[in-house]
Amino acid sequence: MSADLVRVRSGVYHDSVSLMGVSRALAALPGVEAAVVAMATELNLGLARDLGFDLPPADPSGLLIAVRAGDAGTLDAAEAELERQFAALANRRTGGEAAVSPPRTTRAALAGVEGAAVALVSVPGEHAFAEALDAVEAGVSVMVFSDNVSIEQEIRLKDRAAAVGALVMGPDCGTAAVGGVGLGFANVLRPGEVGLVAASGTGAQQVATLLDHAGAGVSHILGVGGRDLSAEVRGRSTVRALRALDADPATSLIVLISKPPAPEAADLVLDTVRGLATPVVPALLGPDGHDLTSAAEAVLNALEMPIPDWPSWIARESGEMTAHGPGWAGGALHGLYAGGTLCAEAEALAGEGTFTDFGADAYTRGRPHPMIDGTLRLDALAAVPAGDVVLLDVVLGHGADPDPSASLAPAVAQAVRRGIAVVAVVVGTEGDPQGLTRQIHALAGAGASVFISNAHAVRHAVSLTGSAK
Amino acid sequence: MLAAFPAGIYLEVRTENEPQVVAVIRGDAVRLPNSIVLSGAVPEAAMGDDAAVGDGTIRLGGLSLSAGRWWNPAPPLGPAEPGLLALAAPAMAAALDRAARRPGLDGNGAVALLADGCARGSLLDTISAAYRLIGLGPGLTPSGDDVLAGLLVALRHLGTAAGVPRAVHLADWLAAAVTFDARTRTTPISATLLHCAARGEASPEVMSVLRGMAGRHPLEPAVQRLLPLGHTSGADLACGLRIGLDTVVSLA
Amino acid sequence: MTLPMLSGDLQVITVGAGLLGEAVDAQAVPRVGVDWRPPLPGTEAAIARVLADPRRAAANETAVDRLLSARPHLVTVRPAHEVLDLAPGAFLHAGPPIGWKRASGPLRGALIGAMLYEGAAGDAREAERMLAAGDVRLSPCHHHRTVGPMAGVVSRSMWMLEVHDAEHGGTAYCSLNEGLGKVLRYGAYGPEVLKRLQWMGDVLGPVLRAALAVSGPLDLRALMAQALQMGDELHNRNRAATSLLLRELAPAIVDAAPERAAEVLRFIHGNDHFFLNAGMAACKVSADAARNVPGSSMVVAMARNGTDFGIQVSGLGDRWFTGPAGVPDGLYLGAYGPADANPDIGDSTITETGGVGGFAMAASPAIVRFVGGDVAEATAATRSMYEITLAEHPAYQIPGLGFRGTPVGIDVTLVARTGLLPVVNTGIAGRVAGTGQVGAGLVNPPVEAFTTALAALAEEAPENTA
Repeated sequence: MSADLVRVRSGVYHDSVSLMGVSRALAALPGVEAAVVAMATELNLGLARDLGFDLPPADPSGLLIAVRAGDAGTLDAAEAELERQFAALANRRTGGEAAVSPPRTTRAALAGVEGAAVALVSVPGEHAFAEALDAVEAGVSVMVFSDNVSIEQEIRLKDRAAAVGALVMGPDCGTAAVGGVGLGFANVLRPGEVGLVAASGTGAQQVATLLDHAGAGVSHILGVGGRDLSAEVRGRSTVRALRALDADPATSLIVLISKPPAPEAADLVLDTVRGLATPVVPALLGPDGHDLTSAAEAVLNALEMPIPDWPSWIARESGEMTAHGPGWAGGALHGLYAGGTLCAEAEALAGEGTFTDFGADAYTRGRPHPMIDGTLRLDALAAVPAGDVVLLDVVLGHGADPDPSASLAPAVAQAVRRGIAVVAVVVGTEGDPQGLTRQIHALAGAGASVFISNAHAVRHAVSLTGSAK
Repeated sequence: MLAAFPAGIYLEVRTENEPQVVAVIRGDAVRLPNSIVLSGAVPEAAMGDDAAVGDGTIRLGGLSLSAGRWWNPAPPLGPAEPGLLALAAPAMAAALDRAARRPGLDGNGAVALLADGCARGSLLDTISAAYRLIGLGPGLTPSGDDVLAGLLVALRHLGTAAGVPRAVHLADWLAAAVTFDARTRTTPISATLLHCAARGEASPEVMSVLRGMAGRHPLEPAVQRLLPLGHTSGADLACGLRIGLDTVVSLA
Repeated sequence: MTLPMLSGDLQVITVGAGLLGEAVDAQAVPRVGVDWRPPLPGTEAAIARVLADPRRAAANETAVDRLLSARPHLVTVRPAHEVLDLAPGAFLHAGPPIGWKRASGPLRGALIGAMLYEGAAGDAREAERMLAAGDVRLSPCHHHRTVGPMAGVVSRSMWMLEVHDAEHGGTAYCSLNEGLGKVLRYGAYGPEVLKRLQWMGDVLGPVLRAALAVSGPLDLRALMAQALQMGDELHNRNRAATSLLLRELAPAIVDAAPERAAEVLRFIHGNDHFFLNAGMAACKVSADAARNVPGSSMVVAMARNGTDFGIQVSGLGDRWFTGPAGVPDGLYLGAYGPADANPDIGDSTITETGGVGGFAMAASPAIVRFVGGDVAEATAATRSMYEITLAEHPAYQIPGLGFRGTPVGIDVTLVARTGLLPVVNTGIAGRVAGTGQVGAGLVNPPVEAFTTALAALAEEAPENTA
């Protein structure tokens, strides 16, 4: 035996949507068979009649309540729920604005941005083109940290950028500094007048940190990506970056850091350099050109600043080591690097040994860059045979491991105890979050020889190997 | 600690030489040239608390702040065509005359004397006017100081940019005069800002107006961003910038 | 060359590794972080290819500009046979093309009703037999510059609103709205439905035509802009727009047909959705102006036939890209529940295509609980649509968002990149022919309509691009 509750209330108005919500809440109660809570329009009265409710006369300004339940108790419960629902409707706050959710694309993020802006794209390579293109199409320069971007996409991005007066830094651009703001892996550098155009991230970091140590400041570091000076890309970004620094009033000397450009790009770049009002120090790395340290020295010469003695902390030989005679004897050289250009430079300068770039694709797929997480490199260090020489780099700055020596120093100490000579280059500045001195002391304290110049570190390491005898 | 506001705190470093006030501010606060911008919230501190500044860090209560990057409060303007500056002068005048924000010393005789002295390149009149203006007006940065700061920065940057050595020369003399005893004649924060201005250092809003004058970007929006700063500071700085621009144009 | 980023206070937009964003924060540099997520599965290559199409940027600019600059005016009301290419025995329906066999209940009911109305069949059974036998020609409204709500069935004798685009010269049509409850567009075909259609043909249509002749063309763009500021979103809530329309037309109706004026005005007054059809025609004529721009990835039609949800894209001509129509999630009338609901149906999604409806939800606090929530969620729904649209409408504005223009011009590539589907705000038809409306709510379009359109755009993109 079911029971009906039928009421028409006057002087009450709720919109139909609210009332549908009330109806639904009542109908959801166990034992309620039907519920119509609605303004008493002809349509709604008809619906209720179709359900078999016996309705009193009502005009559309009334509020119709028609509930059917299995028993009177349930009906009472439904009526209580009804009152609760109406009270809730009456008290309903006018819902404030939801916290504005963050933009989902670079395009949307740029919608509210005006003035000087740069986009930093580090999504997986196959998605980087879309985000970078958003920036370029909005006329905004972009740093593409991502690697694995196709060369066709790189060219297309750079051509679009040229058309709108923007710059594409990258792809695979590890470091940039724009007006003192570090992007990607970036050191805290003193402001100054030297502008860097770099096809190599760690190369730029080495030169800039050496300059910082020597007291020379940096205006901007514009990365261009490792392929920019290839035959295909033909220096599209290098040329634009050079011109931009030439026009920048804060920059009075430009340094171009790159491997020697492909012949197809070289002429273009050289022509551009000749056309600039600002002097350019080319630091073309390789056997016939510079190493990074001599490049920094050339910059200091151009600035007419003295070249300091690049500091080093040479580990004293321990007792068991001296047993091998003067200097660590014999061992082979193992270069365990996180920075690609530093690794290449070391390999070229050393002319012997085995070198591993842990920042290369093969080691970074599915895991963080070794500058952020050095686990793989620590494993490699542990596997070096006793008596050998290890050469490694520690890159400081924003974005990098907040305290690399915390994990590295104990590993170094262990290696030294195993009779391994460890030589480290620390690329950083005193202003870096990790603190240059702190990191150097931790590594030197663990028994490593420490340098801030990679070239000097390499030479020292080579002097410790068997071949140096 | 000298003062505390929701957007930042001022620390006074007691040194023998010039007064040194360091502003430690939130990212959205006006960035005075002596500012350290925080990446987080302003530390809780009370007036009179001790802080230690030096060795690359500021220690305040239990906090230790160090620089995550350096910003340049005096970025070089680069060359500017004197012709462009001549065009900017009436635009600047029009923008300021229209502005609802009035300078704190609107109609003050010393400001008029300053403008007149500068326009004629008269060191005597300029410095006499400057002496009357230092510390003139209420607040942490009195209006007179803001006018002088705007003028100093404009003379130095625009004079260098347009190749007007007489303007730079005037800036040198004026700088020497206002910094000589600023410490005793105005508030510590204002004295520090005058020292900054003497070196050509200013907030990004001021530099943006200078870039607008040099034709690097539209002037009007830059002026509109400067004007609302502080109580009358923005308008006072703009007044000084305008006098500086007119001076460089007339001395060119 | 000068680079703006080298001078002035830098702002950084970061997308990708959180660590690199934090490194920017540590330098106290203003930053906007993108909440990036991978695109719809399997679309990376097509996205890259479509984005690389050198025509795209300009094509989309052209397409969206046409959509936004259209100036729809209601010019007259005329019988369908006068204006549409509609032979006897031919009927139009909502959504992408479909035959009787796959047609859902409401569409079948409406087709039966229309045949009875046209006298093409003696009774429902005969109509059904003829329809099943294929003796009747069916064609989508969209192929005839027409849109129809719900089943969207149009037959020769029905009177159509004629909307003219004063900017680009296009014309679009939509039938007259019958009201709520048991109506043809929800698949009802009982005697009261046919009687009402008869009255609409005999009285409503001719009176409106006469009234419009007196009043002259009615600026729908201006009217819709006002209605949005009065709490309509113009798909599920048309109360303000209907009131405004009534106010505009009432004097002319009285002038033109004093003896029928009262019943016509009473009919319009009794139906809060009367304006919907005019709004749909306005959106249709605007979207049609944006058709056929080669290289454009902008959606120019979204429509459902009760079985399939289809879209058309400016750069892809008249091709349809479809997926199964979903069942709306919403609130039900009376004792109806989800089991009574038909899958999504109707051309009314032309409103979302034109930047109103679900896209303007934030303008309509009165209906926001269709989202199952509150004003905040409606605001969020509208805001999220800015992610997938090319522009903000200059005339259609949302007071609650500081008079920001509504999001308009759905870009297929942005849908694929964000995985955000257009928010559609719709009525729910009963699945059994003849039931009528059972509720209202929100529905998600099928992902595959967008991914197949994207794939087609990728195929059309010129060779030798990235």
